[in-house]
Amino acid sequence: MSMLALGALFGAVTLLVMFSGMPIAFSLGTVGVLFMAIFMPASSLDTVTQNVYEEMSSITLLSIPLFILKGSAIGRTRAGQDLYAAMHVWLGRVPGGLGIANVFACALFAAMAGSSPATCSAIGSAGIPEMRRRGYSPGFAAGIIAAGGTLGILLPPSVTMILYAVASEQSLGRLFLAGIGPGVLLVILFAMWAMINYQREYRVAKRNFEANGTESPLLLDEHFTMRQRFEILPRVLPFLILLTGVMVALYGGFATPSETAGLGSLLALVLIALIYGVWRVKDVAPILSATLKESTMLMFIIGMSLLFSYVMSYLHISQSMAQWIVGLALSKWMLLAAVLLLVIVMGFFLPPVSIILMTSPIFLPPLKAAGFDLVWFGVVMTIVMETGLIHPPVGLNIFVIKNIAPDIPLGAIIRGVIPFVALMLLTVVLISAFPTIATALPDLVMGPNAHAN
Amino acid sequence: MQGVDHGRAEAAVNTPGRPDLQHVPVGLAAAPASAGIHQRIDPATPRWLLPLARALMVVNRGVMVLGMIALLAAALILTSSVVTRYFLHASTDWQDEASVFCLVGATFLCSAFVQAIRGHVGIEAVSSLLSARVNRVRVAIVDVLCLAFCMFFAWKSCTLLYEAWSEGQTTSSSWAPPLWIPYLLMSIGMILLSVQLFVQCVASANSVRALEGTL
Repeated sequence: MSMLALGALFGAVTLLVMFSGMPIAFSLGTVGVLFMAIFMPASSLDTVTQNVYEEMSSITLLSIPLFILKGSAIGRTRAGQDLYAAMHVWLGRVPGGLGIANVFACALFAAMAGSSPATCSAIGSAGIPEMRRRGYSPGFAAGIIAAGGTLGILLPPSVTMILYAVASEQSLGRLFLAGIGPGVLLVILFAMWAMINYQREYRVAKRNFEANGTESPLLLDEHFTMRQRFEILPRVLPFLILLTGVMVALYGGFATPSETAGLGSLLALVLIALIYGVWRVKDVAPILSATLKESTMLMFIIGMSLLFSYVMSYLHISQSMAQWIVGLALSKWMLLAAVLLLVIVMGFFLPPVSIILMTSPIFLPPLKAAGFDLVWFGVVMTIVMETGLIHPPVGLNIFVIKNIAPDIPLGAIIRGVIPFVALMLLTVVLISAFPTIATALPDLVMGPNAHAN
Repeated sequence: MQGVDHGRAEAAVNTPGRPDLQHVPVGLAAAPASAGIHQRIDPATPRWLLPLARALMVVNRGVMVLGMIALLAAALILTSSVVTRYFLHASTDWQDEASVFCLVGATFLCSAFVQAIRGHVGIEAVSSLLSARVNRVRVAIVDVLCLAFCMFFAWKSCTLLYEAWSEGQTTSSSWAPPLWIPYLLMSIGMILLSVQLFVQCVASANSVRALEGTL
């Protein structure tokens, strides 16, 4: 069978099985085993489980359950609401400050919890009702939270970054750092949009008031005393200390990324016990079981994706596709655009973890050959996958928001989200034009990237 | 406790075998914490299978407790690794591997529980386009395929376990713990998952048959 036919068959079978609604983990495994049985030596079937075990038993990958534990420990408490309340009272006087407070709270929470949906529900459950009470249009409020939540996969510790580090054999510490610059850029852009759109909605409300006396809560003034501002701090500071402490442990050379995960999750559990009194078995068990549920599902997808990629590479499908892409002799930026477009399309249906593991063997060699820094590309790809979390049809964060605020129509949420998708794509363009936005920080902390060509 | 859970399962009128979780889209993380975390028995499960289905719920619950302990243990081990290296300057050679065993074990052991609540996400884009009738057939076929794959995987895990045990295989590190430990956890987990899928398969097939009966 020719390479092209084999590759096409492999792709077609994968699509068919996946779209049958079979769980992603099992469909990847089934396709892998099926092609092993037909096209590979019979003995290879005997090593399937060993393969999966060996790929999975990497401590870097297995830090994922621990990072999830850290996130769900923080996400299950009032920490999100407190963080949000603190941002709100401190930014109260800035025009559009409430929206900006939500963006900042999302970013900080995302950096602590490392999960997009958890960020959306933690900040959104307090933020969306508050913004609506203060007269923000429902779609705008939903958009801020949906977009803010996506920062979870860009800011460290991000599960997608861990997988990308494993798949691309790049330094995880470096990737984490590379996500910070673009993350801050996105936060600034989101905050600017929140301010601009607030002023637009404010003007509309004011005109309505002047024309026909319709009152809008947007026009009311909000004041917080200094006392209120300082009262909230003690509840938030410990988590900020946790956040920075973990980063110091990692980059100060005290701990490996996986040890950081263990340390961080344990510290998070201790903090919620001390601050929120969450320490009884009945309080902690739901946190642990939610973590196990999410991480088991994820680790199964990861293990089976690795089996899938192994088969793809054994049959030379990934190599031939990579060669074929190189053979197209696209210009550097055309290649990047084509790859990112495909990632966007895959983002319609697949979670970032599967996208990374399935496509890395195909895309990374041509991109490397074209002279792209793979750490930089990891950041760009992550931002592109972030858009997949908030655009239809499957945008996960949209569904999380539907859960928090069921009365906001889907159409309004989507209209509210679109400006943020545009800002993300703008960020991709900016990072492409100025790669140092991503690479400056890791180069500064860890020295120039030895892998870059 | 079991009776109560089961009663709720019977009362819940739902697409067979598919709790609300089905509509959670694919994504990096699972649905918000509120989404079904409780196991329930598919109302279409035939009477003769109910004892097994109930026993599985108990086993899954017990296994989840083990998983929770393993998760905490891994966090503790890794933390102690940082602390002992920094304060006691002791070498940390076994911690990584011990936590790998804990976490791999937790992952495989809990897979049956995750399947019980249909927590392994799939692409559900097609299901919304199909009629309820076709969907039941689709679910049944998917379940059979999953069962076939997991049984194969369980079988190969067991042969791997047997080899590791009889040949006394260890990992290649200086600590060199026996490999049968993680392989045993993997085998048990995959067998549990296969049994879970078997129960769900029979229930799905049963609901397809019930549908034919109404024609």
